Amino acid sequence: MTFVKNSSLSFRGIAGVFLFLFFWEILIRFLIQFDNLPAPSAILFSWFDLLTLKQYWEEIAHTLFAAMLGWTVASFAGIFLGLLLGLSKTFYKYTSTSIEVMRPWPGVAFAPIGLLLFGFSLKMELLVIILPALWPVLVNTMGGIVNIPKSLYEVVASLRLTNFAKIYKVFIPSAKASILVGLRISLSLSIIMAVVAEMIGSPNGIGYAIIREQQAMKPTNMFAYIFTIALINVFINYLLSKIVDRLSPGKPTSRLNQKVLVQ
Amino acid sequence: MMPIYLKSLYRVILGLLPIISLLMIWQLFSDGPSPHFPAPSYWLMALEQLWKNGQIQFAIKETFWIFGIGLILSTTLGFSLGIIIGVNRKFREWTTYSFESFRAIPPPVVIPIAVLLMGYSDSMKIVVIVFATIWPILLNVVSSIDNMHSGLVDMGKALHLSQKQLIFKVVIPSVIPNAIIGIRVTIPLAIVITLLTEMLTGSNGLGGIMIAGQRNYNSSQVYGVLVIVGILGLFINLASNYLEKYFTKSWPPKQQL
Repeated sequence: MTFVKNSSLSFRGIAGVFLFLFFWEILIRFLIQFDNLPAPSAILFSWFDLLTLKQYWEEIAHTLFAAMLGWTVASFAGIFLGLLLGLSKTFYKYTSTSIEVMRPWPGVAFAPIGLLLFGFSLKMELLVIILPALWPVLVNTMGGIVNIPKSLYEVVASLRLTNFAKIYKVFIPSAKASILVGLRISLSLSIIMAVVAEMIGSPNGIGYAIIREQQAMKPTNMFAYIFTIALINVFINYLLSKIVDRLSPGKPTSRLNQKVLVQ
Repeated sequence: MMPIYLKSLYRVILGLLPIISLLMIWQLFSDGPSPHFPAPSYWLMALEQLWKNGQIQFAIKETFWIFGIGLILSTTLGFSLGIIIGVNRKFREWTTYSFESFRAIPPPVVIPIAVLLMGYSDSMKIVVIVFATIWPILLNVVSSIDNMHSGLVDMGKALHLSQKQLIFKVVIPSVIPNAIIGIRVTIPLAIVITLLTEMLTGSNGLGGIMIAGQRNYNSSQVYGVLVIVGILGLFINLASNYLEKYFTKSWPPKQQL
């Protein structure tokens, strides 16, 4: 879901961005003196400085690693639980309300618990990532399984497949499109939650760097880190939507983006 | 035969069994006020103390106040901006990429910017919430204007409606259901951002109390407030589900004959 209908580059759109940056620059240089709002050129220069630092790349790597690890765990757990919920009536009966109760629980609220249990560490970060990132995968897997047409169950029964073959060869492939949507939502959620966890309490990663630069009153560095995470966000989303489009049959999934975003 | 409400209550209780049994096991096997896993009865005691201090009531009020104002502002701003951008082709062409890049900024990192520019204040928190939650509504409005049935606009033109009439009588009514879906998406996001802002700025809201409890190693307080946050989140979610159903069902309004 984007503002532009066709994805071709729009000259005016790019010009608009440059105009915005230009006015920002003019405003800061000549019109008002803000101590804490740097001009875009100043941000760019300190960004160049950061690019040469080893620490900068380590921080990026840390955030990406935490997000990916959390996402992988959440995906496996989500698909597994979603399959159970979609396939087993009894399991659904005894857990559905619990899941409905747990789902709207804001993920950040677990950050203090994570700090209590694990201190300032990667484990705390993973807790804050995994808990919210689990739900989109779980719900979409369950939805995909529940929406499998009745006739497929008859096919499966007449082929006398084993339970494993049923799930692996029939149910998962037919719920694939829906599962992929869940995976995508939960990846962008994982990146955001990784940054959140680092902002609250992990002495590493981009989120921590942003807070550190803010407290050190170095707004140019802070903005550089913020633009970095925004770029990473865009890049990963683009990459994933390409992969998902390649994997999923039929129409591009980018339109399914509507019910996205953070919980 | 059981009456229908008893039946659904029975189903809800069945579904809650895992949580209930987990809490009971926790209560039975935990060794009192541990710094990591305090027993649930200690959570209640911590909450009782917060209640007596008047801290928790104040925190709930504070959190709700910021959350509500932020949500209302971001909804109105997002809706009106969405209409302007959706209707005005020129404006959209020029601002496309600027808005796209704003949207790419993960909402939580707006907090440090706002802290630097505005300091620790209520208006800072509200600005953060608005900036973080405006996008789903805005995008839903814009895309639903794009996907509007072309017959609607043609009909308006055939009736010689002015631009203003076209917007107020044709465009706005037709985008309302989609805008409500957008609002539905922003509500959980707004809760998260409110709590996070409170945690980072150490205010008296619910997030602030949790972080304070963690810093004092008062684990029962953290767990207790976590339960309160969960219950509030659940209720807000239920209410917004109900509102969404109500609005999408009764929209467009039935014609009176």
